[in-house]
Amino acid sequence: MLLPRFDYHAPTSLAEALGILAEYRDRASVLAGGTDLLVDMKKRLAAPSQVVALDQVPGLEDMARTKTEVRIGARTTAAALAHSRVLKKRLGLLSEAAGLLGSPLIRNRATIGGNLAHARPAADLVPPLLALGARVVLAQNNGRRETPLKDFFIGPGQTLIRPEEVLTEVIIPAPEPGTGGAFLKLGVRRALERSTVSAAALITLDSGGKNIKAARMALGAVAPTPIRSRGAEQALIGAAAGEEAFMRAAQAAARDARPRGRRTSPEYSLMMVEVLTRRALGLALLNARQ
Amino acid sequence: MPKIQISLKINGRSQDLLTSPHRTLLQVLREDLGLTGTKHGCGEGDCGACTVLLDGRPVNSCLVLAAQAQGREVTTIEGLAHGDRLDPLQQAFVEKGAIQCGFCTPGMILSAKALLDGKKSPSEGEIREAVSGNLCRCTGYQKIVEAVQDAARGMNKAGRRKS
Repeated sequence: MLLPRFDYHAPTSLAEALGILAEYRDRASVLAGGTDLLVDMKKRLAAPSQVVALDQVPGLEDMARTKTEVRIGARTTAAALAHSRVLKKRLGLLSEAAGLLGSPLIRNRATIGGNLAHARPAADLVPPLLALGARVVLAQNNGRRETPLKDFFIGPGQTLIRPEEVLTEVIIPAPEPGTGGAFLKLGVRRALERSTVSAAALITLDSGGKNIKAARMALGAVAPTPIRSRGAEQALIGAAAGEEAFMRAAQAAARDARPRGRRTSPEYSLMMVEVLTRRALGLALLNARQ
Repeated sequence: MPKIQISLKINGRSQDLLTSPHRTLLQVLREDLGLTGTKHGCGEGDCGACTVLLDGRPVNSCLVLAAQAQGREVTTIEGLAHGDRLDPLQQAFVEKGAIQCGFCTPGMILSAKALLDGKKSPSEGEIREAVSGNLCRCTGYQKIVEAVQDAARGMNKAGRRKS
């Protein structure tokens, strides 16, 4: 399969990259791992006249954890996320999702920034990041801005990123004690699979350890973008952590999902939303009690 | 756009190449350098026939622009044997009957090599996961898994003998 021709830029600094994007705007695409962009270009779904590779731009691959937050550079690969010790404590759902993305070969190239920017409805890293309340940093010539991830996606393949911007970092607030999360991915095969349904749950128990103080429930592949299920969250907050609340949350999640029936029937998708939501909440509870 | 210059290491040797930017690492390896051990299968990262090691990590070379390999180290299947002496993995694949048509073999061996470089005694599950990005249409994977287990055992024995 041949790529279409393009002009290639390999900036050696973020500033240089941003300058190129400011000049070419819609005609330029940013290239990180290439596992989305180059596939699209080979299929002629994308044909930018300018490709701006981030390979030589330093400082986009660092992962750091402080008491209040975890910051992940946009070029961090799925493989690095899957093996990360920084993420082990309470952020394991992100490592889990990263470890299920594509294949080992894809994971060595695919980046967190690319997965977010490419914005597929079934993008694996998004539900965990939504559940974790992440925000993204978008840099451009004149500075940078931060956007909560829950507001970031507009439609399939569409985000708030402007043509002159680069997504440089993902910031996750450090979960409080008593918080646990889980991620589940449903598909036909165990590798190289686009999710049929995916679910990410994060719950925080109160000091007594019995009731749910805070909850976030995110679903992938069952709407034009990955979504948070507000219905599920409302069913959980204040409730006693356990099967009864999880069942109600699962039913609410199925009401919030709007599968388009692309890869499987909507009826099946909604049934699986319920199953995965219940199971993810059960696992999140176990994780919270550890 | 005119051709661009790339400097990289391939199988331990420094190379300077001139190529159009739209060419992939796979194309450059096969067409410019004659290293045809790496295969073109699907061209979109779904089959693993194009697997090479990039700075020691297995990747789909069909999804790496040759230009992105600037300054990096590439290992292809050709880089495994030492002259006439096959790498223990290659030897194990031959002995275990893990090769039928051979098309997936270079990719399988490189994915397995990366696994064994990091893990001395992987479980069967870990081996299967390590090659889960490499498709085989002939063997049903069983002999491939056994070959990797065999190679791991052999390498562990050799390691103990040396020390």
